[in-house]
Amino acid sequence: MKSKGEFIVILTLLLGILAGCGGGNSTANSGNSQSGTAVDPATTGTETAAANAGGKTTVQFWHSLGGKNGEYMDALIQRFNESHNDIEVVGTYQGGYDETVTKLQQAVASNTAPDVSMLERAYVLMFADSDVLEDLTPFMEKSGLSADDFTSGLMGHSYFNDKLVSLPLNRSTPILHINKSMLDELGLAVPTTWDELKTVANALVVKEGKEVKRYGLSMPYDTWYPIAMISQSGGKFFNDEKTSPGFIDNGIGKEVFSYLKDLQSTGALYYPPAQDSGNIVNSMFVEGKIGMMFQSTGSIGGLSSSVDFDYVTAFLPKNDVYANPTGGANVALMAGSSNKEAAWEFIRWMETDPQGGLQFILQSGYLPFTKKMVESPEIQDLWAKEPNRKVAYDQLQYAIDTNNDVAWPEVMHEFFSTIEAVMYDSQDIQAALDAFNKETERILAE
Amino acid sequence: MRKGSPLVKIFDWRSLASVLGVLLKAAVVMVFIFPFLWMISTSLQTLRETLAFPPTWIPAVPQWNNFVEAMSAGPFLMYARNSVVITVSIIVLQFAVMIPAAYAFAKYRFRGKSVLFGFVLLAFMIPGQITFIPVYLLMADFGLIHSLWPQIIPFMSNAFGIFLLRQYFMQIPEEIIEAARLDNAGAIKVIWRIMLPMAGPALATIALFSFVSHWNEYFWPLVMTNSEAIRPLTLGIAMLRETEGISNWHIIMAGNVVLVVPILLVYAFCSRHIVKAFVYSGIK
Repeated sequence: MKSKGEFIVILTLLLGILAGCGGGNSTANSGNSQSGTAVDPATTGTETAAANAGGKTTVQFWHSLGGKNGEYMDALIQRFNESHNDIEVVGTYQGGYDETVTKLQQAVASNTAPDVSMLERAYVLMFADSDVLEDLTPFMEKSGLSADDFTSGLMGHSYFNDKLVSLPLNRSTPILHINKSMLDELGLAVPTTWDELKTVANALVVKEGKEVKRYGLSMPYDTWYPIAMISQSGGKFFNDEKTSPGFIDNGIGKEVFSYLKDLQSTGALYYPPAQDSGNIVNSMFVEGKIGMMFQSTGSIGGLSSSVDFDYVTAFLPKNDVYANPTGGANVALMAGSSNKEAAWEFIRWMETDPQGGLQFILQSGYLPFTKKMVESPEIQDLWAKEPNRKVAYDQLQYAIDTNNDVAWPEVMHEFFSTIEAVMYDSQDIQAALDAFNKETERILAE
Repeated sequence: MRKGSPLVKIFDWRSLASVLGVLLKAAVVMVFIFPFLWMISTSLQTLRETLAFPPTWIPAVPQWNNFVEAMSAGPFLMYARNSVVITVSIIVLQFAVMIPAAYAFAKYRFRGKSVLFGFVLLAFMIPGQITFIPVYLLMADFGLIHSLWPQIIPFMSNAFGIFLLRQYFMQIPEEIIEAARLDNAGAIKVIWRIMLPMAGPALATIALFSFVSHWNEYFWPLVMTNSEAIRPLTLGIAMLRETEGISNWHIIMAGNVVLVVPILLVYAFCSRHIVKAFVYSGIK
């Protein structure tokens, strides 16, 4: 080394910079009751005080609503804050459903979780199993509410070990979307059974040589639709003991996928590529390249304003029975919250006040989730104007969720692999299902 | 080049190669530029046009209003300010750490040098997806979760920058430094007066790469921020997506155009130096 002095100079320089950067650190607690409208964050590393100047209690609410629905949710929160002098709700978008779950997991671990969070319904049980969701039963009793006040088809993911751990919020369900003009041209009626669906879907196919120019039916790449079809055939995704899939030994899985492969082979079914499949099928439906599709009720609003043909919705056709799973998200009170009373007041207001969830449902097109909401003149008016939305609600009488289990998020990945193996790679259906069966039993045994 | 071969033959071979070269370059340019053109086109379409299949290439009437709608969907000025503060802070801090480090690695001999340099290279190879949970917990412990720091501190050191700059410094002849030392110049003066002016292209390259990667960062700010006030532009634009139903691609793409413009500006300033930097350092 040429000069020890020079080396020390450089080392000091390095350390000095490191130390300088740590300068703004404070030892403030990482509490979760903190104002979202922080002071200039660029100039300070400290947290703002928990309580606002006016003595308001701050309630942090995490949600997954972007785009227009995000704006409707912001408006809901604003209405709440304007009508409550003592509570300030800060709503924050935390990415899509899956991203919100990831964030919630790390936030719970580090004590930075919000008071209230939106949770995609399939993840509710996973969080409840970790004891991080508050039992809402006592709050409900105090507010004079009962589980019977809610739309029963949407309560499938609300209970865990007899505790009420979440309430429905932005919920949807798969439904059959139909280009009625296309069916009318050929004198076809809206299908109500699998057999009719097959006939109609095949009749709609237009081919030029070997190339299919128009398909009869499509659906996004998702577990939702095969699960719907399993229920329609009288199967359950998990057996009652939650030890094994409930649709493989009885041959139902094979029936469902054989039906789909059969349609696919004639061009009656277009099964889209996995990436962005929802947008692809929507585009093709709007363009008249597909006559019918299984798709979320969440698309009704966008489709209604985009199509230039007679667009109607109908129940998913039945095989043995009518059946459909539900989707979307619930709202939950986090057990770690230090403002549970205020947080509950927000949930209660959002669920039941006419200025709360009702307005959001009217604007967004999600399903009404309380009986009062359904009976309200606003919803009745909307349904009179847009019968497509009423169909979506009416179908809820057949709602059934048979994939309720703590292990679902993990099993879901396996089921996606099975769908890929069958729909894309045309593997032997029974072999693919047997492989799925084995993996699922292993996961459920853990 | 082979001397002595027939002149005509060389000429033919060269012209063929140059034509092929141009075609290949054009193809590569198309591959890279195509998504940008599509983004710009989509940002000017109506919702109906974005849904069209086959896709619409040229919108019938350019919808400039998409930009207004995108920018009024949230506090975009605040997001933009956060993006600028984060990116500029990162680059300034990186230079403060990187320059002395690269100088030490290039021009000093000390015990454990190769091991330490090995650590620097190792830092290259660990993706953020592995470190984000421990870093988040650490930042939460420090009480920094509601500040911009979690988006800045983890990126203070830039392994690629140290590597590139070290290669650059190593090529600067020892004699020049010796001469400076004879004139009583200390380490800082040597760096400031000799090393940095000669490493201009490398510095420009590092600054640009660093700017692009941190300006575009999505995953890290998503997992590190829980409140609006500290979020960068990328998250603001992601918020334009619909959770369910039909995505407003025209609005999202308008947001993306706004996101990309600063990168193009910075590139315009730095591009001159970049090729030079790679040629100099022997990395091609």
